[in-house]
Amino acid sequence: MLDVVRSTDAASAAEASRARRPRPLSGLAGLVRRLAGTRIGLVGLVIVGLLSLAALSAPWLPLHDPLDLMMEHRLEPPGASFLLGTDEMGRDIFARLVWGARGSLMIGVLTVAIGLSGGLFVGTLSGYYSGTLVESVLLGLMDIFAAIPLLVWAIAIVGIFGTGPVQLGPLLLPNEAKIILLVGLLFIPGLARVAHGLALAEAKADYVAARRLQGAGAWSIMTSDILPNILSPIFVQVSVLIGIGIIIEASLSFIGLGVQPPTPSWGGMLADARSLAFSDEWWVATWPGLAIFLAVIGFNLLGDALRTVLDPRRRDGGPAL
Amino acid sequence: MWFAGRIVSSLAVLAAVSVVLFALTRLTPLSPARIVLGADATAEQIQAFEHDRGLDRSLPAQYSAWVAQLPRSGFGQSYITGRSIDLELLESLPVTVELVAVTFLLTLAGAVPLGLIAALTEDRWPDHLIRMLSLMAVSVPGFWLALILIRVFAVKLGWVPPIGITPLAEGWYAHFTSLVLPALSIALYYIGALSRLMRAAVIEVLGQDYVRTARSLGLSRGLVARYVVKNALPPFVSVAGMSFGYMFGWAIIIELVFNLPGLSRALLTAITQRDYPMIQATVLVVTAMFIVSNLVADLIQRLLNPRLRHA
Repeated sequence: MLDVVRSTDAASAAEASRARRPRPLSGLAGLVRRLAGTRIGLVGLVIVGLLSLAALSAPWLPLHDPLDLMMEHRLEPPGASFLLGTDEMGRDIFARLVWGARGSLMIGVLTVAIGLSGGLFVGTLSGYYSGTLVESVLLGLMDIFAAIPLLVWAIAIVGIFGTGPVQLGPLLLPNEAKIILLVGLLFIPGLARVAHGLALAEAKADYVAARRLQGAGAWSIMTSDILPNILSPIFVQVSVLIGIGIIIEASLSFIGLGVQPPTPSWGGMLADARSLAFSDEWWVATWPGLAIFLAVIGFNLLGDALRTVLDPRRRDGGPAL
Repeated sequence: MWFAGRIVSSLAVLAAVSVVLFALTRLTPLSPARIVLGADATAEQIQAFEHDRGLDRSLPAQYSAWVAQLPRSGFGQSYITGRSIDLELLESLPVTVELVAVTFLLTLAGAVPLGLIAALTEDRWPDHLIRMLSLMAVSVPGFWLALILIRVFAVKLGWVPPIGITPLAEGWYAHFTSLVLPALSIALYYIGALSRLMRAAVIEVLGQDYVRTARSLGLSRGLVARYVVKNALPPFVSVAGMSFGYMFGWAIIIELVFNLPGLSRALLTAITQRDYPMIQATVLVVTAMFIVSNLVADLIQRLLNPRLRHA
């Protein structure tokens, strides 16, 4: 970064004074400050922040071992020794919730990372080369992808390939890797369609024509001109999609096709609690469900705030699932 | 003419999807022969099994053979159970379709009025309340909601059976009430999402010049409301149609919780048995439903909006 404050010549001083005024989107810190300025954004930031903190610091928190089967303490109600009670196998629910947050958040964030990079790549490329074969091939491919009901395909594909780990060169990847890749791929068409529409408009703009006259190559125009300009309306969707990724992961884990036991996961904990649906141990099924609810509502609030801050004219979208 | 083109492109997409699905079920790490014959089978037995069922041929050859037999013998037989896949689907599909249909009606009954009320009271308390509730609704995982609903309405209050489906033979009312909890478990998410969409669509129409003109001309409130709803519906319809298709995915999860004998049982059983032809058929049927519901939504949208018809 340019150190504008210490520069002495007039031009830099003018630049410095301009830099001190709030700019529309001045990096991540500025965005966070503007999000925190809205009420829903603040609540969303607090929820997502606390959950991420808990997930990241899980190994250093004074928690019970989430895998420890304390059969003598099975189904203990919430209390002093077990904050949120224990499950049917005598495992501490609070510890399992905190450790479960790691998988949920990681899968949510990584699926969207894949969807976002794929969507931006396809969208920018097809928007820039509009009217050519590149556009029709890419959009046709996206139409096929978009005709896929996401959840059923995720269930079926994990079902076909099994829930075991995958050997990838020297790496032994757990089932989570499969889910991240799958759901990430299935996120691409929706994001690509939005990115395509935006890139199409940008590619026709005068400044792109000017850049072309300057002799800029297609790749350089796409990456340094079009991409930065279409980023914020796309970015609005990121938070909501992370929430959807979390729900999909929890659903898959719930039916036994997601995170594999004994690794703690919120969906898996609810699957264990199913057998207790009729008994009085209300806490076993309550906490993991609340955890999913809290995480998803946090990302949804953040998504609403992002829309207000970055793209106020755009109206609410429909369900993505 | 437009519709014919749309049907052709839908069929092309379905064909492409079936190729992807076919390839996926053939790229499995474990040969179906190994699953059926067990770990003790000799290499010759495996070879004979694969040869009998054409599994040793190239992928394109296998695909064209599969397509060729579709009109004659449908999806054929499962390797594992030996049962006809068509029969299996004929038993389970109606359950899921009925559940999704009830879910869809519940969704419309909730989302349309709530969206309208929110739009008409924009930025006043009913709007704030509805928006807050809809935000919560889209954040509740359906299978957790299902567990809560079972506990409250079936176990504690005893109003409805906790699991299973009451056959139609025992009366309409009993049959319908046994579907309410699973349908509600799926619908809540869509009521939240679609009421937000309805609200946004109505607010957009309310801001149009022709609505202001109609109001200033002193047209009755009822007449203005009719204009507004008629013009707000097209964007709503297309998303509602897509939601109808998505609901099949959630039905797979929710049917498991309520132990309903629908596609969920067929698919999940096929997955545990590694019954690839059955998985393939189930997913293809759900995908076809999804494509058809999008097609129907497009058609309705066009009928509602004359401008699209002449485009």
